[in-house]
Amino acid sequence: MRGYLDTLKVIVVIAFRNLFASRLKTLIVGGIILFGSMLVVVGTALVDSVDASMSRSIIGSVTGHIQVYNAKSADELAVMGNFQMEGADLEQIDDFKTMREALLKVPNVKTVVPMGLSGAMVPAGNSVDVVLEKLRDLVRRQQAGEDVKAAIPSQKDHVRQIVAVLATDMANVGKVLNDKAVAPEERAAIARATAPDFWDEFDQDPLGTLEFLENRIAPLASDADMLFLRYVGTDPAAFAKSFDRMKIVDGTTIPPGRRGFLFSKWMYEGQVKLKTAHRLDVIHDAILKRDKAIATDPDLQRLVKQNATEVKEIMLQLDSQQTDAFRAKLQKELASQESDVSKLLAEFFRVDDGNIIRRYKFFYDELAPSLTLYRVRVGDTLTIKAFTKSGYVQSRNLRVYGTFTFEGLEDSHLAGNLNLMDMVSFRELYGFATPERDREIQAIKAAAGLKEIDRDHAEAELFGAQPSEPESPAAVATVDDADAVLRGLAGKHRRERREDQAYDPAQLEQGVVLNAAVIVRDPRRIPQTMRDIEAAGTRAGLTLKAIDWQKASGLVGQFVTMIRYVLYISVLIIFAVALVVINNALVMTTLERIAEIGTLRAVGAQRRFLLGMLLVEALAVGGLFGGIGSALGAGIVAVLRIVGIPAVNDIFYFFFSGPRLHPGLSVANLAIALAIVLVVSGASSIYPGLIAMRVSPRQAMQSDE
Amino acid sequence: MTHIVSVQQVFKNYTLGTFVVPALRGVSLDVEEGEFLAIAGPSGSGKTTLLNLIGCVDTPTKGLVRIAGNATETMSERQLTRLRLHTIGFIFQSFNLVPVLSVFQNIELPLLLQRSATTKERRARVEALLDRVGIREYASHRPSELSGGQRQRVAIARALVTRPKLVLADEPTANLDSVTGTNILDLMKELNRTEKTTFIFSTHDARVWSYASSVVRLADGQIVDRVTAEEAVRAGGVPGQPSPRAT
Ligand SMILES: Nc1ncnc2c1ncn2[C@@H]1O[C@H](COP(=O)(O)OP(=O)(O)OP(=O)(O)O)[C@@H](O)[C@H]1O
Ligand SMILES: [Mg+2]
Repeated sequence: MRGYLDTLKVIVVIAFRNLFASRLKTLIVGGIILFGSMLVVVGTALVDSVDASMSRSIIGSVTGHIQVYNAKSADELAVMGNFQMEGADLEQIDDFKTMREALLKVPNVKTVVPMGLSGAMVPAGNSVDVVLEKLRDLVRRQQAGEDVKAAIPSQKDHVRQIVAVLATDMANVGKVLNDKAVAPEERAAIARATAPDFWDEFDQDPLGTLEFLENRIAPLASDADMLFLRYVGTDPAAFAKSFDRMKIVDGTTIPPGRRGFLFSKWMYEGQVKLKTAHRLDVIHDAILKRDKAIATDPDLQRLVKQNATEVKEIMLQLDSQQTDAFRAKLQKELASQESDVSKLLAEFFRVDDGNIIRRYKFFYDELAPSLTLYRVRVGDTLTIKAFTKSGYVQSRNLRVYGTFTFEGLEDSHLAGNLNLMDMVSFRELYGFATPERDREIQAIKAAAGLKEIDRDHAEAELFGAQPSEPESPAAVATVDDADAVLRGLAGKHRRERREDQAYDPAQLEQGVVLNAAVIVRDPRRIPQTMRDIEAAGTRAGLTLKAIDWQKASGLVGQFVTMIRYVLYISVLIIFAVALVVINNALVMTTLERIAEIGTLRAVGAQRRFLLGMLLVEALAVGGLFGGIGSALGAGIVAVLRIVGIPAVNDIFYFFFSGPRLHPGLSVANLAIALAIVLVVSGASSIYPGLIAMRVSPRQAMQSDE
Repeated sequence: MTHIVSVQQVFKNYTLGTFVVPALRGVSLDVEEGEFLAIAGPSGSGKTTLLNLIGCVDTPTKGLVRIAGNATETMSERQLTRLRLHTIGFIFQSFNLVPVLSVFQNIELPLLLQRSATTKERRARVEALLDRVGIREYASHRPSELSGGQRQRVAIARALVTRPKLVLADEPTANLDSVTGTNILDLMKELNRTEKTTFIFSTHDARVWSYASSVVRLADGQIVDRVTAEEAVRAGGVPGQPSPRAT
């Protein structure tokens, strides 16, 4: 044993002396290894950290650890990565309760949250409609004998203002493009509304004129945006409990047993808020929180430009008094003589790095109080119209209870583009087919055939009249009494209160769902748990498919895997280069040392001694420089951990699970780096080792010949 | 009578492409323990080839080579290496020291390869040899810091450190001036006497024949004759036929 150690010592001495003798070569080889191992340590640490934080984002926002859906589905479930309007085409799971009970038998399963993903267009808040609605209300009250003389003129005034704004707008469009860009009937409508005798006409026939305004003028105000809302139907209480990063920002959560809708705060700000105000927020935040500057950031410059050109949305909201007030305030603030408020607003919104803070404050202190900042407010009712699976249009009025966000993911659109509604309403909007419902539709169709009512309407009415709802007994549909259903169609007023209607919380449990999120106790056992879940489903007579969060999140979840491959490939390339370079360096030294090697062989060194010598040389270089590189890498990670890597945009925000990534270093990162270095340096001594082994001891004698 | 070296009817051909060079053509030679044998002959006569076969660093094309009772033709490469390590010492014309090791480490190297002696034993052995060859004060020097004669002394010490039965030296003085060469041969001769080590060395320098216990003369790959040093010297460096062309 001793002998071995001493032999090793002499090998080491020879190896190190040789390395020192060819310093330059050693340094070049070492430099590559140093860089490579540093890259491995920093790279794997970063990817691991992003992986961890992103999985936190994904698991914590909507997918849970595992998603379960019907294996018979045509599409694969993709909770996040699917950027289509519709959700994936999933087969329904008939009874959530059965499934939940089956899944809870799997030991690692902690909770099961019912889900369904879908989307719908929602008409929301045309400001012209709002104004006209008010005017119509006043007219109605006047006709009913109420004294509203004081209120009518100012409301008329506002409409006049709106028409003026639209007329200017149309003139501008005509100028910029050409007159053909404006349809003749639109031009005619504006001409009629701006005619001097239009308001006399109004006084004579208020309802007829209102009709004209609603049908011809309001559509010209194209801010009558449809909102496209993607939503997840779920059990709100179970959802909040399982996804504990979820928190309510405005309003309250949907109370148990109530129909309702929660906006994602991100969506609410981006889509529902007054566009100019939202853009101002974004600019303000970018400068304050992300150290951006308008002068240097083209994105911010674009937002400023948009705000300056799109003041119409604000103008439409102003009646003449407000217009005057705005004019006075803006003239003072901007020290301007301009009397055109839209021009004043445009100038006001043309912010720069110097005045953004002041203008932002001015906007919210002075202007915003007279504006409707959000098209839909907490407490409002949202009419959601969705295409059911069978192609009918289904409509539901849902009360907006509030907005929510996921902590740490406030700025992420990936986490923020899903809104939330109760599962019962979701089922109705999705139009699940159940045996009872099929029978009801048959009944309706029979009745409709009789009474010549169109089918869409029939289904809409049917689903609006849920048999199990205790508060609308008149709407109960029975197979035997289709007429009763049709009578219910007349009871339109009942639907108005529908959003207030409660449902039996047991309904959440019992009905149909599309998919379910599973939260597990031990995330390390996800693959096993997925198999267990599918097996448990089979035992319960269900055909379940379980996918992990990464798969469930679609493209997003696979992104890290992609980064990881890129990293591995670059590491592979670097070390392939290192392998070649070390190999060449060793081959060169070996060839230079043929006589020496021959001598050693003649004197009695076995081949493995030479192999050992080269191996020690390679490993020494690898170990030394790999060690230094890993240490440097660890240092870099430590510094990054303290400083944090800022998330430059909302995608990174999601990947970093917050505004900054503080990467951690694990033993595995270092171990991988050192292992790669040692394997590579070991492998690179194979070929020179073969050369050395082939050196004949005779070559010692011939050294001089 | 024990023959430390016994070579019987050995042929050695080198092939250069399709061309066959017969380096040895039926050489037979027995060497007794304790001899101080010179192999003489002109350049190209096959001296190095013969020493390589005796030193087990090469194998004959035909014929038998027996070293210290070992039939080398039956032995594996590993066994031959062991045989070299334990039984044979080598002294080279161009010294062949390991440049990155000190004088001490160079001498110690074969002992480390043997893996039998303790650190202390090795130290004692190396120091004794440093004294014997007279380079004690250079123990920690690198070979590049020594003169040719000093380097060859290190090589001799390295060859003897394992107490081999046989030391082979291929033209050990060829790279040295005549005075230094004479000193080296004196040293070898003295070691031959005191340590009872058999020495076989090659030379084409007739002046050094007088050191040898006997001289084997080679020409064209064949042994011309084997004579005592006196006979060889009496022949006056003009040994019989064929007449030496070289030197
Ligand atoms: N590796 C080889 N390949 C081919 N021919 C060789 C080889 N080694 C030696 N020879 C040839 O074999 C013959 C004997 O060579 P050897 O080296 O044994 O002679 P030598 O007596 O040692 O000569 P010198 O005094 O020049 O060292 C020569 O003709 C030589 O050219
Ligand atoms: Mg020779």
